[in-house]
Amino acid sequence: MFDFLIFICYNSVMITQEKLTILTESAKYDVSCSSSGSNRKNTGGIGNGYVSGCCHSFTPDGRCISLLKILLSNDCIYNCKYCPNRLDADVPRATATPDEICELVIDFYKRNYIEGLFLSSAVCKNPDYTMERLLLTVKKLRTEYHFQGYIHLKGIPRADSLLMQEAAKYADRMSYNIELPSEQSLKLLAPQKSKESLLLPMKELTQQKIRFTEEKRKGQYKGHFLPAGQTTQMIIGASPERDGQILRLTQSLYRKMDMKRVYYSSYVPIVRDSLLPDIPAGQLREHRLYQADWLLRFYGFTVEELLTENENLSTEFDPKCAWALKNMHLFPVEINRAPLELLLRVPGIGAKNAHKILTARRYAVLSFEDLAKMRVALKRAKHFITCNGKFFGAKNENAVRGLLAAAETQDSAQQMDLFHLLSTPQNALISLHGQL
Amino acid sequence: MIYFFDGTKSGFLTAFLHAFDDPDALLTSKKAQLTLGQTPVFIQTDESKAARALQRLRSFDCEFEHDLDFLLRSGMENNEQIAFRYVRFLAKIKRPIRNQLAESDVFAAVECMKKIGLEIHHFHGFIRFMETQSGVLYAPFSPDNDICDLLVPHFRARLPQYPFVLHDVKRKTAAVYDGKNYFIAPLDKADVLLSADETEWQALWKKYYNAVNIPSRERLKQMRGFMPVRYWKFMPEKQ
Repeated sequence: MFDFLIFICYNSVMITQEKLTILTESAKYDVSCSSSGSNRKNTGGIGNGYVSGCCHSFTPDGRCISLLKILLSNDCIYNCKYCPNRLDADVPRATATPDEICELVIDFYKRNYIEGLFLSSAVCKNPDYTMERLLLTVKKLRTEYHFQGYIHLKGIPRADSLLMQEAAKYADRMSYNIELPSEQSLKLLAPQKSKESLLLPMKELTQQKIRFTEEKRKGQYKGHFLPAGQTTQMIIGASPERDGQILRLTQSLYRKMDMKRVYYSSYVPIVRDSLLPDIPAGQLREHRLYQADWLLRFYGFTVEELLTENENLSTEFDPKCAWALKNMHLFPVEINRAPLELLLRVPGIGAKNAHKILTARRYAVLSFEDLAKMRVALKRAKHFITCNGKFFGAKNENAVRGLLAAAETQDSAQQMDLFHLLSTPQNALISLHGQL
Repeated sequence: MIYFFDGTKSGFLTAFLHAFDDPDALLTSKKAQLTLGQTPVFIQTDESKAARALQRLRSFDCEFEHDLDFLLRSGMENNEQIAFRYVRFLAKIKRPIRNQLAESDVFAAVECMKKIGLEIHHFHGFIRFMETQSGVLYAPFSPDNDICDLLVPHFRARLPQYPFVLHDVKRKTAAVYDGKNYFIAPLDKADVLLSADETEWQALWKKYYNAVNIPSRERLKQMRGFMPVRYWKFMPEKQ
């Protein structure tokens, strides 16, 4: 009976190709596309969560398609200086109905095209109205269409907090974009948004999640509350903040707001404005920030160890190498005895390889050849380790410095090409995101 | 000596017992070109011998059966030889060996199993269903390893109300889920009548795929790295 009803409404509201294209084109610059972190079970409807996340396709730009990334509407009343959908921009506008989105999700999902929905919207009419429409769509998808796959919902700043709280019960992950790394920059470039309007909802969601988890533990609350947590995103290079300042903000977001991810997108000028710089920030800076971000989350580093507040990350070395070169007195470490924390700090040894070494050394004393056989990358690592007492790296610090720099150029030669390509006007949109 | 067996688990275990003491043993179930001086031995599967071997090996490592199952599913040219060397090492050490990564026999086997795990994960994403007139979802695909039945639990968990068919066109087998249970059946060719909306949905999906791409940021090599070209054949967006 239920299947039959769905079938009827399916045929009535298939979204048109034009609308789908407009709403996707406006959403595609959003960086986040992960579908991990939710273990929502299937209880009779369609879909479930996939904790590790799952990529369903890859586009020619090398990015994965995991979620159906789409706007409910790209008709915006805000005029953020950097945004391609701002009020003044001359772009085609479209608005989808909740049913059109729901049907699209169900039909794509059952064909295994997507892992779920990433729904966002431009602010149309007012924040409350927009958030209500988003909530309506997500609620419909969960309760009428019985969809139990992944939903990532973008929050609308300045919308009523009750709407936000309600939405969090249906979505797997929510995100409020922090947009720019400081309050002054925000005032200058996105005057309709304020630090409070962005940070307050994040804080509130974090606190509520703690409360709901507690209630759930006691059995007072059944259901979900953002099982995959929150993420956020900011533009790098449109404003004068240094990497040190940005990473301090990141660290506090991870610690205080319990963020799952902070995304960075490097700025490229498309809009000529006296308030915006004419020079693109470059992808290398974004890349370095992500490397440092990983060190904070998975390698036990603190930002204070990496750099001071007024410093930028080195362009020459990756952040871990740069740290190791400043702390040569800690190296070399003996691969057969060093604890995990120290192995993780060796340049060139990642989390996977560190664990591989830990497992393998329980059975045999590892030699340099053994590491090579286990496919542990040694180009950088050999200068910082000894294998059973033997050292295979360069003799003095200057030689190490030179060899590491050479390794870096070699690795990034191809990437660098792409980084330069990006600074053309056609590429400019890439850097942008915001309320897309 | 080359030991030929019938490709089954019991066949492998029987051959393993025969070849155990032969330092130059080569195990295979595939047609192989004999080089000069090699003597082929054709192993007759012996269920009782195999059962005894299995029991003994399981006593060394309770997850042994899973490993052997994975290794025999592999599409690699020399997977049976990798399995043989792995099992022989297990029989010598007499306790679980999968963490002894510095041993090349173990490392080769672990890598081989990892590849299968990775392909299963890939196909959780890359399978493409099409809706047929009867409402059954049909997905043809051609994996490197024999993983057809290993994909079923994933899709059954998320689409419990939709009957589906996963068709491995390379090995000519299919996993069929009827809405309650599933079974494996040989299937050479399937005549599929698509539902009325199917082509339209595929067209929408292609539109989406093209719209979400950023053309000025082309990185084809990266795309092919993540999504190997051999998988594209059954994906509507890559037609």
